[in-house]
Amino acid sequence: MLGLTIALAGLVPGQAQQVPVDERTLSNGMKLLMLERHHSPAIAGGWVARVGSVNERPGITGIAHLFEHMMFKGTPTIGTSDAKRDAEIIEQQETVRDAMRQEEAKMRLALRRGEIEDLAKPENKTERYRELEAKFKELIAAQREVLVKNEFDRVYTTAGASGMNAFTSNDMTGYFITVPANKLELWAWMESERLLRPVFREFYAERDVVFEERRMRTESTPLGKFQESLEAMFWESHPYGWPVIGWPSDIPAITKAQADEFYALHYAPQNITLILVGDFKADEAAKLCERYFERIPRGKRNPPEVVTEEVAQKVEKRMNAEAEANPQVDILWHTPAAGHPDSYALEVLAAVLSGRSGRLHKALVLGDEVATSAFAHQMARKYAGMFNIGGEAKEPKTPGDVEAAIYVEVERLKNEPVSARELQKVKNNFAAMAVRRASSNFHLLVQLIQYEGGGDWKSINTEIPSILEVTAEDIRRVAQKYLTKENRTVATFTRKAGTKVPDDPALAGLSGEQQAVVRRIASQIKSEISLERLQQQLQTMEAQLGQADGKQQGLIKIIMVKVAERIAELSK
Amino acid sequence: MKQNMALGLVAVFGLALGQAQEIPDRPEKLTFPPLIYDAPNPADYRVELESGVIVYIYPDRERPLIDLSVNVRGGSYLDPKGKEGLAGLTGYLMARGGIPSSPADELDEELEFLAARLSSSFGGLSGSVGLNLLSKDADRGFEILRAVLAAPSFQEDKLALRKTQTLQGLKQRNDDSKNIESRERNFLAYGERFWFNRHTTAASLESIRREDLLAFHHKWVHPKNFIVSVSGDFDRNEMLKRLDGVFAAWPHPGKKAPPVSQEQKYGKPGVYIVNKDVNQGRVSIMLPGIRWDAPDYYAIQVMNDVLGGGGFTSRITNRVRSDEGLAYSARSAFPGGVYYPVVFRAGFQSKSRTVAYATSIVLEEIERIIREPVTKEELLTTKKSFIDTFPNNFSSAAQVVSAFASDEMIGRYAKQPHYWANYRDNIESVDIAAVQHVAKQRLKLDQMIILIVGQKEEILKGHPDHPVKLGRLVKGGVIELPMRDPLTMQPAK
Repeated sequence: MLGLTIALAGLVPGQAQQVPVDERTLSNGMKLLMLERHHSPAIAGGWVARVGSVNERPGITGIAHLFEHMMFKGTPTIGTSDAKRDAEIIEQQETVRDAMRQEEAKMRLALRRGEIEDLAKPENKTERYRELEAKFKELIAAQREVLVKNEFDRVYTTAGASGMNAFTSNDMTGYFITVPANKLELWAWMESERLLRPVFREFYAERDVVFEERRMRTESTPLGKFQESLEAMFWESHPYGWPVIGWPSDIPAITKAQADEFYALHYAPQNITLILVGDFKADEAAKLCERYFERIPRGKRNPPEVVTEEVAQKVEKRMNAEAEANPQVDILWHTPAAGHPDSYALEVLAAVLSGRSGRLHKALVLGDEVATSAFAHQMARKYAGMFNIGGEAKEPKTPGDVEAAIYVEVERLKNEPVSARELQKVKNNFAAMAVRRASSNFHLLVQLIQYEGGGDWKSINTEIPSILEVTAEDIRRVAQKYLTKENRTVATFTRKAGTKVPDDPALAGLSGEQQAVVRRIASQIKSEISLERLQQQLQTMEAQLGQADGKQQGLIKIIMVKVAERIAELSK
Repeated sequence: MKQNMALGLVAVFGLALGQAQEIPDRPEKLTFPPLIYDAPNPADYRVELESGVIVYIYPDRERPLIDLSVNVRGGSYLDPKGKEGLAGLTGYLMARGGIPSSPADELDEELEFLAARLSSSFGGLSGSVGLNLLSKDADRGFEILRAVLAAPSFQEDKLALRKTQTLQGLKQRNDDSKNIESRERNFLAYGERFWFNRHTTAASLESIRREDLLAFHHKWVHPKNFIVSVSGDFDRNEMLKRLDGVFAAWPHPGKKAPPVSQEQKYGKPGVYIVNKDVNQGRVSIMLPGIRWDAPDYYAIQVMNDVLGGGGFTSRITNRVRSDEGLAYSARSAFPGGVYYPVVFRAGFQSKSRTVAYATSIVLEEIERIIREPVTKEELLTTKKSFIDTFPNNFSSAAQVVSAFASDEMIGRYAKQPHYWANYRDNIESVDIAAVQHVAKQRLKLDQMIILIVGQKEEILKGHPDHPVKLGRLVKGGVIELPMRDPLTMQPAK
């Protein structure tokens, strides 16, 4: 034990690695977080709106994310050369869109009645819809005459800003960019303008972009669509059950009016935190932010609280997906929200299982050799958490074998306390994490966005000290409490027929039929016990080899190797 | 001392806070204090050790951490025929296959206890051994580093495990259309015989033995091929002494990594399709490539940025994404290869029925940048995006030394020691005529190769509102490429 104390002696966890954020609140309720760092003449600036897919409802799933895209479309002065004309056209566009929505309702009815099969197919549009579409295109063309394309981006880029982007998650929407240190006022101008008076132009083209994003991330990847099903099955009552990107029916149905409403409610100053990290003086920057952002009036009402809680799970839930992927298993358990003391114990528990010297690797990959890789992590979101363990099967072992081996480790955690050395090892890593996190302005900004959006930025300083207090008994208790059969949802993945890759590398390159032949013969060879007969076979094949064509030769050689292997086996 | 001066030269003259003045309606009306920034000079950080190894060194006491990378010349281009995958296995197992004083599992346990990160790998043309640890553990860390570099054990059990994991990886080669696209792109752009198109196969993997790893290691992992970058919590002279120790008395003779083979063959123009049942087609549009030391390199970078490299300020993104909503990501790159020309590529992903239409828009934009001069505004935006973001290349000590070590690796420091000092002027000197000149010279339309991975029939059907025929877009017509067997990389029968 003495040795362990010394090992950590050079590092003072907690105190020494505090992130010294200067927190202020503007008169309209907007929060401002500042962190001075004078390493290079740049500032990473961003803000987080405490709104994500969790704040949506059926019918408008995906709106938080679509809205994030719309925040780059400009203002009355950025993005158009004629704000008045631009606004008129947008209004006319909405009138046409209203008529199109009536047609969309007819097409949905036709779909329900089985008259058409797929709404997305261009051939299934009604005649009237086509006419309206043509009209809408004319309005787009008219708008382009006054449109200043992607000007919001252009202004920033021309000023030497870089890395402008944003993200949406279940709990939050974050926006960020890096500006040269002398351009902080530009940042304040741009960000306050788009919060004060955004214009959602090009709304419908952007909606299509989002659908392409859905195809790219979810629909055309090997596991995307199944992960979506898994989460939808895992969460029964909680709004975490629908995907952040939105259901495919909802994305193309979201209206600009809904986006306007969403903005008014969720982008009010009292729901937003500004964050600056980099080369500036806090007092000067605060004055600047007051001047620019206090122009935005406080929202009349606060966004409604998310009241729906996940119902307690009563039975184990399972799915099996035939996927274009290696066989694997993915297990989820319900756990508490971020900030709950048990979530720290679960973080430590996950760390005990993870890593090359962690329990899963030792038991599943090195010990039983049922898996080629395995992982564990605790994901504590703002309103609820999930614990996840999974692994890829080492063929011919199955996902079921991996699953069983995982439960053995879970049971061990419930029954025996984690050793002092294991606990110290994972704690050393959490302490080091606090040291490593200050690697760049941008990295710190993103972490502050995440912590603040997930509840409170102060967790960046309190989380690791809380983790370092976790005891072996805490770990055993949370394992018993949360990692139960009734509380889990299990997905197994097996390889989809037709995309099968031979288990035996020797069969690679053969057609399915040839593989079947070789497999059949190989199993006969395996059960042959007469050395003599095997040696005879080998000689016969050697003789055949000379006369066979190229393709047959390959087959014969593979079988000869199998025979030789069997001979070697029997001669032992 | 000198190192810290480089960043100290930054001068930001107080924020102009016009307290009482009104907020303007346009950002152009804002005024900004000047920002003067001098690039750090590589010579200030460069040291040649007793062993001849070049080190870029930058003490930085902000955090009690040391970050080090030993870059190694060599890579899978040196894989012997039939042993494809050897460099990758050797690289991975240097840090993961044990050292004489500690078996692999004990070493992993020790490193994780110290919260140290040790990694090793070989890519195509270079490898690296990286160490990031708390400075209090430096003595033990450098002892392990020496052992991993000079005498890795390559334990048999770890080799077997890594081979299994690699084989699992090979099995997934056709699962994601993205992987199929990048693989076939390389075959079309550089030819079947080019070094990086010699893929690891189940058979080559199977044939690799521990002796092969030892031989590869003894030959190439040698101070002759090392370039080091190190930053963090240490005294400069002490660290140099430490490093002298790490590289002293090398146990095997080693060889200098030879030049990379230039044997490449750009494919026949045409539209190539790999049929894959996913509802979004992935498209790569390619043209013959350039090298980074081409005299017109800067003009090419500016041209590509306007065309499709500059994100939302570029033409391809504007038209394919913002105007038409046809793709989430649509862009182009003309990066300039180090050892051989690297092709121009424009790419996007779109639903099957609009693949042809979106492709035609990208082609229109390529043709337009050849035909018409870019605007003054576009040129300004692009230049600023290169010039005013310049300090971001050097925003931390680790970034400074790793940028310079990478220049040393590719020979840029030897050829152009003032590359960074002159970088902004070189971009600034590009004018509209130069942009159009390189567009005309370098975008060789008659050699266009288009690769598409997706649902072939749906893609060829196109969209009723945009009747574009893929086969007519470029000479050569539509050619279907077979899927390759994931374990042999041979086209499926």
